[in-house]
Amino acid sequence: MPLTDVQIQGAGGAARLAPEPIRFVLNWGRKYHLWVFNLGLACCAVEFIATSMGRHDFISLGVDPFAPGPRQADVMVVAGTVTDKLAPAVLRLYEQMPEPRYVISFGACSNCGGPYWDSYCVTKGVDQLIPVDVYVPGCPPRPEALLQGIVTLQHKIAQDSLADRRRRSPWARVRKPPAAALSRPLLAPPTPGPADSR
Amino acid sequence: MTADELAAAATTALGVAVTVEDAYPPLTLDVPADRWVDAARYVRAELGCDFFDWLSAYDALDEGFAVVVHSYALERHHHLALRTRIPREDPRLPTLTEVWPGANWHERETFEMFGIFFDGHPRLVPLLLPDGFVGHPLRKEFILAARVAKPWPGAKEPGESEEGGATGRRRMRPPGVPETWGPPE
Repeated sequence: MPLTDVQIQGAGGAARLAPEPIRFVLNWGRKYHLWVFNLGLACCAVEFIATSMGRHDFISLGVDPFAPGPRQADVMVVAGTVTDKLAPAVLRLYEQMPEPRYVISFGACSNCGGPYWDSYCVTKGVDQLIPVDVYVPGCPPRPEALLQGIVTLQHKIAQDSLADRRRRSPWARVRKPPAAALSRPLLAPPTPGPADSR
Repeated sequence: MTADELAAAATTALGVAVTVEDAYPPLTLDVPADRWVDAARYVRAELGCDFFDWLSAYDALDEGFAVVVHSYALERHHHLALRTRIPREDPRLPTLTEVWPGANWHERETFEMFGIFFDGHPRLVPLLLPDGFVGHPLRKEFILAARVAKPWPGAKEPGESEEGGATGRRRMRPPGVPETWGPPE
């Protein structure tokens, strides 16, 4: 099967032509229904989980925990330290998310490398891999900070025009996900060596 | 058993001079590299250290690399460390996987972090570093090029971000990074 670039679905070109009130309604509907996908890599993930629980309760903001996987998610929250070893996996998960997709970078590590910025193995910010919509600072941030980040993202979605978003994004020009990114199977385990004693 | 008694017992058992250091717990047996496996067998069989805790190394610069293995006696409740030194030019040591199978992954990690070869290891391939990583990051001569690749995004001094703009000071480079490295200014 020849691999062609994925035509990004979504509201389609008509959304750009839609009159302002309709766009407002579309965006209003989208921003209060966000399936969230928690890419928890380190201690920040615990704060994320705390935000999803009763006391802070981001469900009241319309965030649904949790999408079964990236293919059903609208928002990916990168919570924790991204290492160079893990970077291909992060990129792979992002590519599997359907448009329109949003990324919240949660905590100092995924913002810029954080305290491990000097390390030989830590990626200096997840924005070196994927485009980030909202950065939440802190080490780790308090749950209230994530709530603020979600509200900021909702403001952003409210002003969104999908076509403009796609046109403006440098990401779309640099890297279009191949069709195989959406249809490829699970990764195979590494082939053991002849004298593998693991 | 005191440090001196332990040193005497180990020297008798192994037939080479063994020194014991107890400057900081646990007791550390210093053995020559060519008796490394024998010493490990002795520690496990005679001193009862049947629990393998961890194995790693450190870079002692002119004195070569020091490889350390920590073990624990589950019945007698005591820790013991075993240490040897190997030269920088030929960092090579027999594997301890025959004595403690748990040493497998620790030796793989030590191999990739320091470039120390463990002869007889069943599968000496990198464990943690990303594919294609060049160099041995825990050696002292490894240059941390991170700051060169991407400058620190935040303010280095209090108040810097409020004032905005560059402070006129030289760009920070980590120690040992050549002046010519990094993106053009």
